[in-house]
Amino acid sequence: MNAALDTIWRGRIFYLFVLPFAALTILFGVWPILLSIQVSFTASATALRPNPTYVGFANYFTVFADPIFLASLWRTLVYTALSVLANLAFALAFAVLLDSTLIKRGNLFFRLAIFLPVVTPDVAGYVVWRWLYDRSFGALNALLKMLGLPAFSGLSSADTAMLSLLIAELWHHAGFYMIIFLANLAIRDKALEEAAHIDGATTWQRWRYVILPQLRPALVINTVYALIQFLKTFTVVVVMTKGGPNDQTNFVTYYAYQLFDQGRYGEATAMATILFAIVITISMSAFLIGEKGAKR
Amino acid sequence: MGILSRFLGAAVVAALSISPAKAQQLTVWHDLGDNGIKWFEAMGAEFAKTKPGVTVRSLSFPTDQWFGRVISALNTDTAPNLIFNNYERVIRIQNQTGKVMDLKAALAAVNDKAFLSEDDLRVATFKGRQIIIPIQRVQMAFGVRKSWLDKNGGKFPDNWDEVKVLAVAFRDKDPDGNGQADTFGMALQAAKPRDLIHMLDLFTFGSGLRHTLIDPDGKITIDQPAHAQVLEEFLKTYSTHKFVAPDTINHSFGEMYQVIEGGRGGMFRVGDWNVKKWDGANVLNGDFVSGPWPKFAADRENAVVIGGMRGIAVPENAPNKALAIEFAQFMLSKPAQQASLENVGAAVRKDLDVSTLSPRSQYFAKAGHKLVAYDFPESIHSFYPELEAAFHRKLLSGISNPPADWKAFIAETAKEMRELAAKLKG
Repeated sequence: MNAALDTIWRGRIFYLFVLPFAALTILFGVWPILLSIQVSFTASATALRPNPTYVGFANYFTVFADPIFLASLWRTLVYTALSVLANLAFALAFAVLLDSTLIKRGNLFFRLAIFLPVVTPDVAGYVVWRWLYDRSFGALNALLKMLGLPAFSGLSSADTAMLSLLIAELWHHAGFYMIIFLANLAIRDKALEEAAHIDGATTWQRWRYVILPQLRPALVINTVYALIQFLKTFTVVVVMTKGGPNDQTNFVTYYAYQLFDQGRYGEATAMATILFAIVITISMSAFLIGEKGAKR
Repeated sequence: MGILSRFLGAAVVAALSISPAKAQQLTVWHDLGDNGIKWFEAMGAEFAKTKPGVTVRSLSFPTDQWFGRVISALNTDTAPNLIFNNYERVIRIQNQTGKVMDLKAALAAVNDKAFLSEDDLRVATFKGRQIIIPIQRVQMAFGVRKSWLDKNGGKFPDNWDEVKVLAVAFRDKDPDGNGQADTFGMALQAAKPRDLIHMLDLFTFGSGLRHTLIDPDGKITIDQPAHAQVLEEFLKTYSTHKFVAPDTINHSFGEMYQVIEGGRGGMFRVGDWNVKKWDGANVLNGDFVSGPWPKFAADRENAVVIGGMRGIAVPENAPNKALAIEFAQFMLSKPAQQASLENVGAAVRKDLDVSTLSPRSQYFAKAGHKLVAYDFPESIHSFYPELEAAFHRKLLSGISNPPADWKAFIAETAKEMRELAAKLKG
C-alpha cells in the first residue's frame, strides 16, 4: 500500500498533467459509453425517462433473434475484412513504391496526392463519389461509355454497392496507412538488406525475411486502426447508400442508427454495445497477436 | 442623514414607478431555421403590443438534435416555455416524456378558430389529448414543370394514365432541349422507410384512399383492390416503368431535391414550404405548377394532402406556463398567422392577405382545393415505425429485383405484414 502511494507520489507531476485529460476522457468518453450500455437494458418506450423500466437482457435477445441484425453483422465483418486487406495492401504497395528509387521525380507530389483525401472532409468526399457513380450523369459511366464498355451499376445495384463503398473508402483512408508504412520504412535498418543481398538472398527472400519483419510495428498499428475504422463504418453509408440497395450496405452502425431513428433506443444501444464488444475483442486480439510475434 | 435616507427612499419609489412592466421572456424551441427565427421575432413584436415587457426568443435546432434536447429538457425539468414542431414529432416527445400538456382547455378558450377543420384537429390530438395547437397546415401537392408541360399539351394531369403519358414524354422527348437524355418523368425518393412510404402515402391519400398500410383497427390494407392498384403502379414507377432516375433507390430528401432543383425531374411533390425557394431565380424560377395528386379510378376524388400539422406545445413543467399558453393561443390570431404565411409559407387561417404572394404560393394559401389529411398511424399503433421499416424493406427488395407478377408480390407482402403486425401487437 505504502509502496503504491509512494509510486504515485513520485509521479505526482505526471499525474497532475494527466488529470485534466483523464477527467475529460471519463466525462466525454467513458461516461457516455456507460450510459449507452445502461440504456440497452431498458424498455425503449421508457429509455430516456428519469426512471426507465429495466428489462434485463431482453433487448439483446431481441437483437440476436433479428435476422436483419445477423445479416448486418455478417456484412459488417465481410466488409471490414475486405476493406482492411484492400487498404493495407494498397497502402503498403504505394509506400514501397514511394520509398524505392523508382519514383524520384514527383515523389512529394505523389505523397501529397495520396494523403490529400485523408484531410478532405469525409462527407464532401463521399458526395463527390456518389456523383461519380451516378448512373445518369456520373463521370465514371460517361468514361465507360466513351470507351465502349458496359455501364457500372455502382450504388444502384445490390451486387456492386458494397464494392463501390469500399473503393470510396479506400480513396479516403489509404493515405493515412501509407504514411505510417512510409515512416516505418524510413527508419528500417538497410544494412540488414545489404547483408542479406551479399549472402545471396533473392528479392522475395529479402522482403519476406528482412524487410517485412521490420515493418511489424506499422502493420500492427495499421491493422488495429483499420479494424476499428471499418467495423464502425457509418458516414459513407449515410452519404452514399443509406443502407441500400436492398440492405446490401446496411452495416451494424447504420442499422442501429435506423432503430434509434424509430425510437427503438433499447435495441439500438444493445446493437451498439455488441459492436463495441466486437471492436474491443478483435482490436485487442490483433494487437496481442502482433505483440506476440514481435517477442518471438 | 435622515434627509439623505428620505431622499434615497423617494428616489427608489420614483424609479420603480417609472420602470417598465416586469420583463418576461418566453423561449421556444423549433427546427424551422432562419425563417422560423424571423417568424417568431415578428410574432414576438406583435405579442408585445398587448403584453409590454414580454419578449419571445426562439432557438432553432436541426431536427434530430431538437428531439434529444427536448426529451432531456422535459425529463430534467429544464424545459423551455414552448416547443414547436410537427405533430408526429411531438407524439414522440410525449411517448418519451409524458410531459406534453393537454391544451384542450386552452384551445377551447380561443374564440376565433372556426377555420380549423375536423382533420386539422385530428392531426393535433393524441390519445384524447390536444398535444399541439395546430398552427401550420403542411400541404403537399403534385407538381409539374410548367415549361415541360406546355411542350406536351399543357394540360395538368388529373389521372394516372395522363401522368404516365407525361412521364414517358418527359423522359424520352428531351423536354429541357439540351440534346441529352438526362431528364426523368418523376423525382421521388426511396432510401429510408419514411422516404418511400411517404411518397406512397401521397399517391394513396391524394387519390382519394385512406390508410396506406394499416387502418385504425389494425387491418393491413395494401392488398385491398384499390390500394393494390396504387401500390403496383407506384412500385413500377421505380422499376419497370423507369420513370425515375436509376439511383433513386438510394435517394432521400436531399438527392430528390437535387433532381428537382437541378431541372431533371418533370413531376414531383411540392410542399407549401418549397414554393418560396422554388420561385427563386436560381432555383426553378417559378417554372412549376401545382395541383391535386392523380386519381387511379374515375369515381374517386383526388386531393392535395395535408401531410402534417405543425403546432405549438407547452411542456407540463414549463416555466411561466400561463404566459406560454397565452402565446400559444395568440399564434392562431390573424397577425401571427399572417407572419407565419409570410415567413414560413404556411398557416391554418384562410382569411389572410395573400396578394403579395406568388400565384404558386397563393395556391396553397387560399387552399381552394380538396384537402385530405394523412392518418398518422403511429398515433394509434405504437409499433407502426417497426412495421413501416419492414414494409419498406420488402418494397425495396421488389424494386431491386422486380418480380414477374406484382400482384403476387403484393399479396405475399400483405401476408407478411399481417403476421408481423400480429406479432408486434402481441
